[in-house]
Amino acid sequence: MRAWNELQQSSFLGANARERAFGLVDKGTFTEFANPRDRISSPHLPVLKEAIEFDDGIVVGLGLIGKKPVFVISQEGRFIGGAVGEVGGAKMVYTIKLAIDLYDRMIAENPALPEEKRPAVIISFETGGVRLHESNAGLLAHAEVMDQFQNARGKVPIIGLIGSKVGCFGGMGFIAAATDVVIMSELGRLGLTGPEVIEQEMGKDEFDASNRAMVFRTTGGKHKYILGDCNFLVEDQIGAFRERTAEILALSMEELEKYRRIGSLELVEEQLKLVDLAVQLQPRDSKDVWKYFGNENPEGLPDMNFAEFMTTVKRRPENK
Amino acid sequence: METLVGRGRDAIEMIFDAGSFQENKVDDFCITDAEFGPGAVIGTAALNGEPATVIANDAMAFNEKFPVVFAGVIGLEEAYKMAQAVYHTIRADQDKPLGQKRPIVLIVDTPGNGPGKTEEIFGMNKATGAYQLALAEARKTGHPIVALVVGRAISGAFLCHGLQADHILSLPKEYETVIHVMPLTSIAIITKQDIERLEKLSESNPVFASGAEFFYRLGGLEEIVADIEKMRDTIIAHVKEIRKLKAAGQDEKLGPWGRGLLGEDRGGRMARGKVIDLIKNEFDEVAERYINA
Repeated sequence: MRAWNELQQSSFLGANARERAFGLVDKGTFTEFANPRDRISSPHLPVLKEAIEFDDGIVVGLGLIGKKPVFVISQEGRFIGGAVGEVGGAKMVYTIKLAIDLYDRMIAENPALPEEKRPAVIISFETGGVRLHESNAGLLAHAEVMDQFQNARGKVPIIGLIGSKVGCFGGMGFIAAATDVVIMSELGRLGLTGPEVIEQEMGKDEFDASNRAMVFRTTGGKHKYILGDCNFLVEDQIGAFRERTAEILALSMEELEKYRRIGSLELVEEQLKLVDLAVQLQPRDSKDVWKYFGNENPEGLPDMNFAEFMTTVKRRPENK
Repeated sequence: METLVGRGRDAIEMIFDAGSFQENKVDDFCITDAEFGPGAVIGTAALNGEPATVIANDAMAFNEKFPVVFAGVIGLEEAYKMAQAVYHTIRADQDKPLGQKRPIVLIVDTPGNGPGKTEEIFGMNKATGAYQLALAEARKTGHPIVALVVGRAISGAFLCHGLQADHILSLPKEYETVIHVMPLTSIAIITKQDIERLEKLSESNPVFASGAEFFYRLGGLEEIVADIEKMRDTIIAHVKEIRKLKAAGQDEKLGPWGRGLLGEDRGGRMARGKVIDLIKNEFDEVAERYINA
């Protein structure tokens, strides 16, 4: 694996799950749990004569950002598209639970535990959701993740990072939506139903999955940033993701709560305004939405470099 | 045999006290726009004399504003409408003691979430995520939540409308119920597996096979309700049992985590527990270093 210093300058998109996990926390602080030497793999793939990996396509562990224990979950798109099965799902679920249990324990010992020492969770998503080879177990694991997310509310911040090749789709799309804060690069993609599936189910008129530019306009980081589904857009660099994450984790839980998109009646009512806008605009393309939010020249946004985009773009006014 | 597929509204009549269902009303929350999220049916009905929140799918409805929403599909409006019903349920009983929090009953017959471009532009993932968080919050606040699969319980739609319940029940396949992520034929294509081999394996392997009995073996549901006539009494019994566990502080036996333990008891998900034990031990070895950093 590349050295930590080198990883900081490296592309987030091109990095594997383990490099992202190591590079997102302070140098030399990452301890991986259920690592490949433990040889824990899916019992279901061999039944179908499929290859296994000894991390089941997900890296979990614990590192530090300053004095803060940071639990890291990082999905590997190169192994069956980062899809979640029984083992990988259990790794994810239990890592979040560990963070919550540690929080409860530390607060019980010291109710005035300083913010800088309180545990957090970061998830680097790269997944299409449920692994079809063990679909039922994968689905049940998704429900367990959401259950732990609710347990973490008000206690342990959960930050979602999206900037890897596969993007974040399927059941993991709404897991990402349920985090406290979402950070993306413009190369990250976030959604529920992937373009190919929409095309297959509803036809090419509804969605032409081969139109790469349109795929990015619909689910890519820049669009999600304008809409507010992504709170922070960063450059495609592990160091950029790490620095933004560290800044956010310095905030208190109350301050972080402001970045949520969903998770309360007030936020549901807020989102329903966007649904009304969908009815009113009937957009055939995200560019219609960008224009509505005051971007005079929506055509130009996709090709702008990061710095130019950030100074030019107009986001939905309610966004935090 | 009789089927309830596509008949979510009929199921409401069969389960709750006769004539008690008040649609679009949860306490003082009232939806007046009849065209809002028509694929989702929400309201209040009496269950054995006590008020309960009802959330069901209406497979006969078509959402004029969102053309991909029909046949029980949960679209943007539907998912937020369901979430509203849950949050208003929590609000209605916020001052009541644990044992008096009203039940929420989910009647499940949905083939999926809205698969459209508009849905993706505006974030269908948020809508279904919002509904799941609402249900998880209601469960943890003390409301007993029971889901009953009367028709189709497919993939992400089942995740949002069903899998966050305290207990999940299903009619058996004789009633044409379907529980899965994808049909075997689609799994065969995507995973490049031979369909005949998959079919043979699925006779004994619950992990990708379709149907309530396989979910039962994985601990994915608590009980199969053998007879349509028993739906009402079984739901009432589960509400009682859930209340008992919540009163005893045994919430870990309920909901998704409880079903994880059930999966091990029933021998369907044996890897999950091993992974958890391993990580727990490895964490304990290094924990102090991170706590006292």
